[in-house]
Amino acid sequence: MRAPAQAHGDRVGPADGRIIAALMRAIDARGLSRRFEQTRAVDRVDIELEPGDVRGLLGPNGAGKTTLLRILLGLVRPDAGEVELFGRALDDPRRLDGVAGFVEEPSFYPYLSARANLEVLAELDGANSRAQIDVVLAQVELAARAEDRVGGFSSGMRKRLGIAAALMRKPRLLLLDEPTSGLDPAGVRFVGELVRSLAGEGVAVLLSSHQISEVEGVCDSYSVLSSGRLVWSGSAARMLSEAPPSAHRLTTSDDRRALAIGAKAQDARIFESKDGGLTVEASADALDAVVLALGRAGVAVRRLELAQAPLESMFFALVEQRSPDRASAADERSPDPVTRS
Amino acid sequence: MSASAAAATGAGASAGARGSRAALLDVYRVEQRKLLAQLATRVLVLVCALGPFAFGGVLSLQSGVPADTLLGVWVHSSGYAISFVVLGFGGYLGFPVLAGVLAGDMFSSEDRYGTWKSVLTRSRSRGELFAGKCLALLALTAGLLAIAAVSSLISGLVFTGDQPMVGLGGSALSSGQALWLTVVSWLLSLPPLLAFASIAVLLSVASRNGIVGVLGPVLVALVMQLLALVGSGSWMHVLLVASAFADWHGLLGDPRFYAPTLIGSAISLLWIVACLGGAWLILRRRDFAGPPLSRRAGWVMPVRAVGACAVAIVLLGLAGGLGPVAITKARLEASMTGTFEKLTLLQQRELGHALPRDARLNLHTRCYRHAGRSEGPGDDWSCTITVLRAQPGAEPFRSTPVTYDMSVKSEGCYKAQAPPSFVGQQTMTDARHRSVINPLFSIYGCFDTTGAEPKPEGATRPRPTSARPTPQQRRAEQQSLHRSEREAGPRVMREIREAEREAKHTAEGPPEQASPPTAGEQPGASEEVRASERHASK
Repeated sequence: MRAPAQAHGDRVGPADGRIIAALMRAIDARGLSRRFEQTRAVDRVDIELEPGDVRGLLGPNGAGKTTLLRILLGLVRPDAGEVELFGRALDDPRRLDGVAGFVEEPSFYPYLSARANLEVLAELDGANSRAQIDVVLAQVELAARAEDRVGGFSSGMRKRLGIAAALMRKPRLLLLDEPTSGLDPAGVRFVGELVRSLAGEGVAVLLSSHQISEVEGVCDSYSVLSSGRLVWSGSAARMLSEAPPSAHRLTTSDDRRALAIGAKAQDARIFESKDGGLTVEASADALDAVVLALGRAGVAVRRLELAQAPLESMFFALVEQRSPDRASAADERSPDPVTRS
Repeated sequence: MSASAAAATGAGASAGARGSRAALLDVYRVEQRKLLAQLATRVLVLVCALGPFAFGGVLSLQSGVPADTLLGVWVHSSGYAISFVVLGFGGYLGFPVLAGVLAGDMFSSEDRYGTWKSVLTRSRSRGELFAGKCLALLALTAGLLAIAAVSSLISGLVFTGDQPMVGLGGSALSSGQALWLTVVSWLLSLPPLLAFASIAVLLSVASRNGIVGVLGPVLVALVMQLLALVGSGSWMHVLLVASAFADWHGLLGDPRFYAPTLIGSAISLLWIVACLGGAWLILRRRDFAGPPLSRRAGWVMPVRAVGACAVAIVLLGLAGGLGPVAITKARLEASMTGTFEKLTLLQQRELGHALPRDARLNLHTRCYRHAGRSEGPGDDWSCTITVLRAQPGAEPFRSTPVTYDMSVKSEGCYKAQAPPSFVGQQTMTDARHRSVINPLFSIYGCFDTTGAEPKPEGATRPRPTSARPTPQQRRAEQQSLHRSEREAGPRVMREIREAEREAKHTAEGPPEQASPPTAGEQPGASEEVRASERHASK
């Protein structure tokens, strides 16, 4: 991929590798902050994204994910910090060239059909993307409903149409805000496959979610936000390695004996759940050992099911470290240490 | 800078300008498409296309006329009058409603549908989106105005015809002149209409609420119409853009006057620039951050806004007396004298009386308000016109004072009506035995409120400045009367005084007083009219 300055015929001197790398970066944001009234929605956030990378922007509701995406899309001005998309700053009128996406629920004119909505948006793109309309409608499986008014669309259909509107621009950077929420399992799988396929073509994707399970397996890396602050950032492999053991719900023929056996087990912890029953926290190997030990002791395992995956456990561990109460106290201190890949 | 660099920069700027134009046109096309796809716009197109036509059709089915509107009595005499009446109605409330419906939801609908985030994340800047929307609004507003103009014109020509019409100065306008003036008059309504559309845009952007955007211009128009009645100074009145809808009146005056037209267009432009500028500043600085994280009580902002508006209205009301007086006794008397003279001559010619081309009347006109100083707009003006004598060669008019009740507007237009016992019924039979409008029944006129005060001419009496003349003014009036008496002869003046006394008695109480027939009265009509008046008074 060429650097933007080269792409537009400007002469680039013998710039060193760092400058070229910065120009090539899909997102290069430093120290982004935005406050709404008394709330720090985004607080000194750094984020970088290279072409072809899929980054999951994780955090509970109100963590600042959507505000961060709004800043990147130019809908909200940051109070502090700098953003460059493919080397273009926020005040560059062409900063959104090659950038597409949506925040919150994609919105359309309800009195126009799906096709007409896409035509309107294509016109705002200079009509360059008009030829793509049929292709993207087919891609999101809305070709049969193209002439229907969007006012009658379900939330999932609107989300698909939002994805179509984004794809129409042939983006090099895709910013998606909770693209899988409201979708049925097939829709979630469709989005995952689409994102991976785009990443294979070199498109950088930043997608937000408050449910790590929905983006697990799709993202190459994660950034976790909590109370507006970036609390963890790194590759998916690293998150998995740092994740606590998974948690399983356990139902046995004799829970008291099971607890006693668990207390002796290595690398595993068995305790009573708040909602009744037992919970086992253990790695895969340790879990096997616990089950075998229970069998040997004559305790039947009636049910064993996954309660919390490792990444989910990691996510909760990260965001619970920084509850709003703790965050306000921490604001006055130095920035939280952020683990980088 | 080298020549090549300068050329390159120039080429770059040119390409940039082309790019901006293309972007603007893209947004323009999008907005046009969106507007035309909406039900409200389609209804507006239908109303503009069919409304004036239906109005003409309804008028043609009934004998009554909208006499309270300027030129309203002429709707059965000339088709052009229908177009002017529609224009008058439009300027009253129709155009502000049109502007509100068209523009009031243009920006706030993006908030309602949540589509700002969709359109602002495409390849067009906020400036291009704003300019494109405004351009689309301008084009559609002009289009709707043109549709209404054509519809009203066709309606008039179909249902009444292209007969000559009587202007606002009492002079006859040929069919060609009337057509030209109709077109120009509708065109002159475009600047204030765009000003109201700009008000709607500002309210729509500032409030993000379609209801405020749609109803706001209508309320602003109503408030402006109320403020136009407050005070007699012209500085505040000239700033009320609703008055600019009356700019066309000067074109139909006799003599024509253009100063209010130019001032009204400039004021409209000022409003457009101020409102669109304000809207752009709000939009440019705005964050599209979704609903606020913490909501204040919903009534705080509306109460503040209403309070600010109330203060502004009170201040404007207090400023109503500032500046030179626009509606003066002298201007009204001069205008009424000229208009009455032309209409009387027109009436006499229609009745078949041969009059020379340069025939003139010698008139005394005295105008006054029943309450307060004789200045400023109001419905309590009266003008007493006394015909002293006709010039040699003219039909000998009877020297009878006629008192018209006047409704005078702040822009300098008035409607005058006299009891049928003085001027005859609304219709009369002309020399060819056709029923035609009696030109003296309802008199419409307009005068320039910006020009110099007219000086007394001919037999017109000196003009006292208040309803109750001072001793000096009374002396001057007496001298003027003596001068007129010498000119007109003692017999005529005696008749005038008797008639004035009689008119005074009639106005003060005894309804049974007989009024002398007047220039406009038809032979044999007066007894019938008086009988009907007596019946009405009982």
